[in-house]
Amino acid sequence: MSFRTASLPALILLIGFAALPDLSAYPEFQVYVAESTGRTVNCAMCHSNSDGPEGTGPGQIGRLNPAELERLGHARSAFQPGQEVDSPILNAFGNHIVTSIGKEKFVELKAAPAHLAELLPPDSDLDHDGIPDAREYLDGTHPVNRNDGNPILLFKHNFRTNFSSIILTLAATISGVWGIGHLLQGFSTASRLKDNDHDEENL
Amino acid sequence: MKLHEIVKNTETYVAERFPVEKMSYSAMVEKKEVPVHRVSWAYYMGGLALYFFSVQVVTGLLLLFYYQPTVSDAHASVEFITEHVPGGALVRNMHAWASSLMIGAVMIHLLTSFAMKAFAKPREITWVTGVMLLGITFALGFTGYLLPWHQVAVNATKIGLQSIEEVGQYLPGAMAEWPRIVKEIIQGEAAVGQATLSRFFALHVIILPLSIIGVLGMHLLSVQLHGMSKGIDGTPTRHEKFFPTFFMKDLSVWGVAFIILFVISLTIPFESLYSYPLFEPFNSKGSTPDGIKPEWYFYFIYYPLELLPYWVILVGSGLLGAILMGTPWIFKNTSRKTLQILAILAAIYLVVMTVFGEQIYHMFKA
Repeated sequence: MSFRTASLPALILLIGFAALPDLSAYPEFQVYVAESTGRTVNCAMCHSNSDGPEGTGPGQIGRLNPAELERLGHARSAFQPGQEVDSPILNAFGNHIVTSIGKEKFVELKAAPAHLAELLPPDSDLDHDGIPDAREYLDGTHPVNRNDGNPILLFKHNFRTNFSSIILTLAATISGVWGIGHLLQGFSTASRLKDNDHDEENL
Repeated sequence: MKLHEIVKNTETYVAERFPVEKMSYSAMVEKKEVPVHRVSWAYYMGGLALYFFSVQVVTGLLLLFYYQPTVSDAHASVEFITEHVPGGALVRNMHAWASSLMIGAVMIHLLTSFAMKAFAKPREITWVTGVMLLGITFALGFTGYLLPWHQVAVNATKIGLQSIEEVGQYLPGAMAEWPRIVKEIIQGEAAVGQATLSRFFALHVIILPLSIIGVLGMHLLSVQLHGMSKGIDGTPTRHEKFFPTFFMKDLSVWGVAFIILFVISLTIPFESLYSYPLFEPFNSKGSTPDGIKPEWYFYFIYYPLELLPYWVILVGSGLLGAILMGTPWIFKNTSRKTLQILAILAAIYLVVMTVFGEQIYHMFKA
């Protein structure tokens, strides 16, 4: 298939998407999270590009090749939950939302973005940081960045998962300090004994 | 005063500050004693700052193996360290956390030394070198902040450098241009870019660490020559030997500090304290996220800067710097009780501005 024939359906798809403004970005969710958490959030929570899907930057519609446009079209037609999608303009969390609740429900939630968390699978944790994606959405932290999350929850999770390393390091530190302490004590005692011997010789 | 009298007075002054007769293992280690009293804990703060500095040197050297000081690769190299280098996230977190802990320890050390009148004759040089170390430590924090080349790093550095240029509006005639020239010398080009990153990198990994080692050497020599200040009014009733008793306690404190640092670094990514958009790679053409601000240890000056006229902050900072450098002479005859009250007031200001600075800002800006 030549490039011209392959790009024709993609071009039609692109024109079609451009004609449907409600199928582009959904800032209602970003606005809700920013207002309810007081944190700075941007489109990168769900999108590939932090400035959203529109534009010609990486992960934006203007830069997609025909194959990517096809994946985008598939994701945009996933109206019912359970359809695996891999939209190039969405990150793993964005795709996870579409897969979990379907496009139709997602568009409905624009009017009540707080309810998105209730509909997401409660045990899903895409970045394996111990904080469920739904909770990260409500907290305004990044669901696919394991370095971003509620610090207290991250502490609890990482403490549990690294418990053996912590215990080993604690034991090594105590042993090291104890050993060096006794070594220094030994030097001090030896030095004192030597001084005493020297004093006795002088006498 | 005749020339020979000036020379003689200078000789006496230097001899009192650097008593060479005490420059022996016996005087500086074996016979050295540390007073024991209710604020003895403050004697550990200097050692703790030194310990965190050592951690910074070790972790910084490890980061150097992978970090790329170019605007195109800096952010990616930092991400590579965090995500792909074995132990990279731990080392990077230790570097970030230890920098904050070091600055915290230095600030507490400064306040407690002030309250204990540890600057009194013949320890003036110990104090002045200590203030210089505080300045270098802040400079290390400022230059290190830019290196990951993310949104908050570049934008906060721009604001910091811009504030230098703004000094020009208060200077007369041709002098008004000087701050802009200084800013461009630091910046290296018209805007914050590759030249700035190269300069900050050189400052952060070579020039400032060498300066700190030089000044620290003089500070520690002075501490060892004069011993610990008595710290309280009257004569301390108890003393303990510096070696091995105090040194072993110091070592134990370092052990505890290491465990705390290790656990924090392993469990709480430093980035989790800020909103994630601030850590995206800097994009000069993209949108600037909200919430750009300097590191927490600059809040004490950052929030007043946002609330008050710039000249007030300039005058205040200048006065504070002059008072800090001149403390041994300004507070020569001040009682420890008064110094303690002043230190407590300064500590309250620092804590309130650091913890509640943002709320105070919104309260007055609303």
